[in-house]
Amino acid sequence: MTEHCDKLADLGALMRAAQDGDKAAYCKLLRQVTPILRQAVRQRRHFLQPQDIEDLVQDILLSLHAVRATYDPARPFLPWLMAIARNRVADGGRRHLRRAAHEVAVEEYPETFDYDATNHIGEGYGDPQALRQAIEKLPQGQRQAIEMLKLRELSLNEAAAVSGMSVGALKVAVHRAIKTLRVALHAES
Amino acid sequence: MDTDKLIERLAADAAPVRRLRPPGRRLALWLALSVPYVALVAYVHGLVVDMPSLGADPRFVIEAAAASATAIAAGYAAFSTLVPGRSRAVVWLPLIPLSVWLVSIGKGCIDDWVRLGAAGLTVKIDWICIPPMAWVGIVPVIAMVVMLRRGAPLMPRVTLAFGGLAIGALANSGLQLFHLGDISIMVLVWHFGSTVLLSAVAGWLGPGIFRWNIAPRSSGA
Repeated sequence: MTEHCDKLADLGALMRAAQDGDKAAYCKLLRQVTPILRQAVRQRRHFLQPQDIEDLVQDILLSLHAVRATYDPARPFLPWLMAIARNRVADGGRRHLRRAAHEVAVEEYPETFDYDATNHIGEGYGDPQALRQAIEKLPQGQRQAIEMLKLRELSLNEAAAVSGMSVGALKVAVHRAIKTLRVALHAES
Repeated sequence: MDTDKLIERLAADAAPVRRLRPPGRRLALWLALSVPYVALVAYVHGLVVDMPSLGADPRFVIEAAAASATAIAAGYAAFSTLVPGRSRAVVWLPLIPLSVWLVSIGKGCIDDWVRLGAAGLTVKIDWICIPPMAWVGIVPVIAMVVMLRRGAPLMPRVTLAFGGLAIGALANSGLQLFHLGDISIMVLVWHFGSTVLLSAVAGWLGPGIFRWNIAPRSSGA
């Protein structure tokens, strides 16, 4: 009990020193009050996430800093600190309510916009079965190039090492294959 | 931003500060600035001729005392609400003299009605009250605004409403020395009403003009 009273008296003394410009005392004071504030915020807003609690604690520390001239060394320190904390927690609650009134919480953001033009992602790939059949009908060199570079996503150098074809030949084969596939798929559709 | 980093930043920024004086001493300072000015304005306008006879009138004395006490109590409440950790019960203090003031004017209205009939309750537009009230309020307003800027905006509406009430009540106290209302209903509407209006407007504006002046968290990070 005596130790607790000494600690509280220490906080008042540290604050008095901080008002006189003692930076070390101020740093020590802020480090000592931070766990007290964290606990107080957690008690009042037990439903908040840890990062939101930390946000509120930081708000209180900033507010304390802004009005540190209002502390009267003749009066106890903790009621002064807790009055600021209560006020900032209440302000945080009001901010939260205001935000909640203007926002709609969603589990996942929509991937596209509402416009029709932006909603054809699925259709852009066409018919996978037709594509597979068209690839099977390609000449062997072109088919091999497409499989390695587009389906297995190998680099040109890797594909050249695997197939024994030159990089230039692979490029030409892919280009021709895509051209052939485009004609084949358009003709089909 | 990490809380430890914030603490280091705040500690590095901890320049010495001038401690806020207790509310009683701040009230005394406000009165010391405002009362001589109000007395000077009353003197320049010319004091009410029959002041000695008015001094013997209990209703005049009660009204003047209640208005003055309202100014003092409202000023004390306004300065107290700027200090974290002070009892909030102080916000009820001004209601006592304010009630006495209102009851006293109300009693005057009833007396006028008994004495003059319906004419005793006739409200006229009396623009002549406005300039003296404006003049008498100049220094109290400036002093109050400057002094209220130092402190914690814990209850901005209440602080500014009491600041406005203190100014209006003090202006009314001064007004009674050189500008008497002819009947009580006029005092009620124009003098007391303008005080309440000033208090209400100040309280309404409170949150907009009296905010926590805190540094952005990310600066200097």
